[in-house]
Amino acid sequence: MSADTASTLLLDRMDVESHVQAMAQTPGVRFADFFGSIEDDQLVIRLVWALDREHEYRVVRWPARGTGYPPLSEVAPAAFVEECEIYEQFGVSPGKGRALNRLVIPPRAEHSFPRLGTAPARERPLPHASHYVSGDAFEFPFGPVRGVGQESMYMGLVTSGEELIDLYLLQWHKHRGIERRLRGEGVARALFVVERAEGLSAVGNGWALCRAVEEIAEVSPHPAVNRSRGVALELERLYNHAAAIVALCQSTGLAVGQAQGEIVLEQLLRLNAAVFGHRYLFGVLAPGGTSRAADADALMTTLPPTMDTLRRLVDALWTTNSFVDRLESCGIVTPADAARLGLVGPIARASGQDIDTRRDHAFGPYRDVAVEVPVRATGDVMARMSVMVAEMEESARLALDLAGAGLGTGTVEVPPATGSALGWCESPRGESLLWVDLDAGRIRRARVRPGSVRNWRSFDDAARSRNVFTDIAIIEASFWLTVAGLAR
Amino acid sequence: MSPDRVRIDRRRLHVVREEERVAAKLRDATQRMFGRSLHIRTVDTGSCAVCESEIRLLSAPHYDLHRLGLFFTPSPRHADLLLVTGPAIRAFDRALEKTYGAMPEPKLVVAIGACPLGGVYQEDEFVHGQLERVLPVDVFVPGCPPSPLALLQGLLVAVGRLAEKVGAEDFTTLGEEEAP
Repeated sequence: MSADTASTLLLDRMDVESHVQAMAQTPGVRFADFFGSIEDDQLVIRLVWALDREHEYRVVRWPARGTGYPPLSEVAPAAFVEECEIYEQFGVSPGKGRALNRLVIPPRAEHSFPRLGTAPARERPLPHASHYVSGDAFEFPFGPVRGVGQESMYMGLVTSGEELIDLYLLQWHKHRGIERRLRGEGVARALFVVERAEGLSAVGNGWALCRAVEEIAEVSPHPAVNRSRGVALELERLYNHAAAIVALCQSTGLAVGQAQGEIVLEQLLRLNAAVFGHRYLFGVLAPGGTSRAADADALMTTLPPTMDTLRRLVDALWTTNSFVDRLESCGIVTPADAARLGLVGPIARASGQDIDTRRDHAFGPYRDVAVEVPVRATGDVMARMSVMVAEMEESARLALDLAGAGLGTGTVEVPPATGSALGWCESPRGESLLWVDLDAGRIRRARVRPGSVRNWRSFDDAARSRNVFTDIAIIEASFWLTVAGLAR
Repeated sequence: MSPDRVRIDRRRLHVVREEERVAAKLRDATQRMFGRSLHIRTVDTGSCAVCESEIRLLSAPHYDLHRLGLFFTPSPRHADLLLVTGPAIRAFDRALEKTYGAMPEPKLVVAIGACPLGGVYQEDEFVHGQLERVLPVDVFVPGCPPSPLALLQGLLVAVGRLAEKVGAEDFTTLGEEEAP
């Protein structure tokens, strides 16, 4: 298989379990996504495996008749979130009596609450899997209205006052039914919605959608236009990682570092506006190309000095003991857990997973440039910050290289086509997948899977690993995920 | 100077009665007073996380909210002003109602971005679509997202509105009722 491919395999329902067993035990195979869609009034389930070493995505599908499908999360634990989601949206559960978490359907929601398929016959009575509170421990409810400028989310923190014993998250407060909204939409409107599903990864998610649509329509943008998209993607990574460093400074009470980080962040956002006309790069992409010409001069003149400011900040941070001490051994995600849970992006790379879709599943401009992927082994907050800093250097280099090779704008016509395809992209939060089924240019089913969906899965594990109450803010900053991306 | 302030000043030119002149003076005074210590609480009703990013930058060195006498507060009970982002998700109604209810009078609601204006999501089973359907909005700050400078402008307009609200309270009567 060459790079940049996705193959589809049709399975008989009876073979699903053995297939998953075999794939989950194959080294280098990563569970990437798992979702349902209604096709000819019947539920069809799709499973996406990422074969990173073979540069291939494998989409497996089977019709889910009757009672459902075997519990896949027993062999591939990463599948748990999607098992919950398929139950909520289509009412089909993996085996009888399995405990599933509530994801996006609010508690006490009416049976008529809109879903992608039919509602389950019986709603789960508990909004979360059972957790343990006894002895001196108590549950500290935090949210859904949290700190200033933070997204809404409920955190159930089980603590004895200092040590964190358990943690669970409720994120249904932000469910906007994005996938349901996309049904029947044209591609341009779909891109508008996908950009706003998780605004901080607008380019990452949007490009994945564009790639899927362009594959179905069998068109590809001009290489110079693709380089413009690459510059937008790298700028998105730069400002997101800068924002994560600001959040780390804030959560460790380092006001000076925070202020200096905010200066870098604001400079990067202004750079986005100077190069592409929008601080968060909305509306840069268009199906078949880009809608805004990139100002390469602004990039060439402004990015290097901004990176110098960043380097001075990072040097100062690494030599500030009160900062580094809070990061070391905090919020550990072990490499084994990262592999087991199918994590992606900087969080996976900080836990020893050498994966990056720009390199492993090269697309667009990344076929012509080598991407260096930083990997750390310790899996703590320090490793995540270290990965982010290294990625910022690489992103700045890539953005300047791509701009140096010449940027273009404009779109090729995307004819209204019929068919389905998987699109992918490396957003700042890791691999973003978008599977699209088009009917004459209108969306029949779009599956939006931002990196946040995969990575929230490990937040409770990281928070439980020998941490105290006040470490949670630091761990959340180092994850730098969005609730909007999961609850979409 | 905010457009609202200009409007208020122009209106003052037509004030003839003594009481109204005093009221206008009071309004200006409260504007000055609250302008130096206005406390803000933020709440997200389903945003895409970008408006939050711009709100956080209000306290960054480039904008520095504090120099204007505006502060963020973690508790709605200390807040004069509620900054709301997102399309008003129905599942969030109760949390929003409790947050708004916890704020002392007089209070303001400032809607941030295109979502609360109905620019991104139509009203449906998930969202109200427009914030005004669930909260009395005093100032809308349009944009997707509005830049921190636009947010500051919106806040300055809102401070003027708060002064008007305070000016409309009948403090004299209240004092007489409570006197022994």
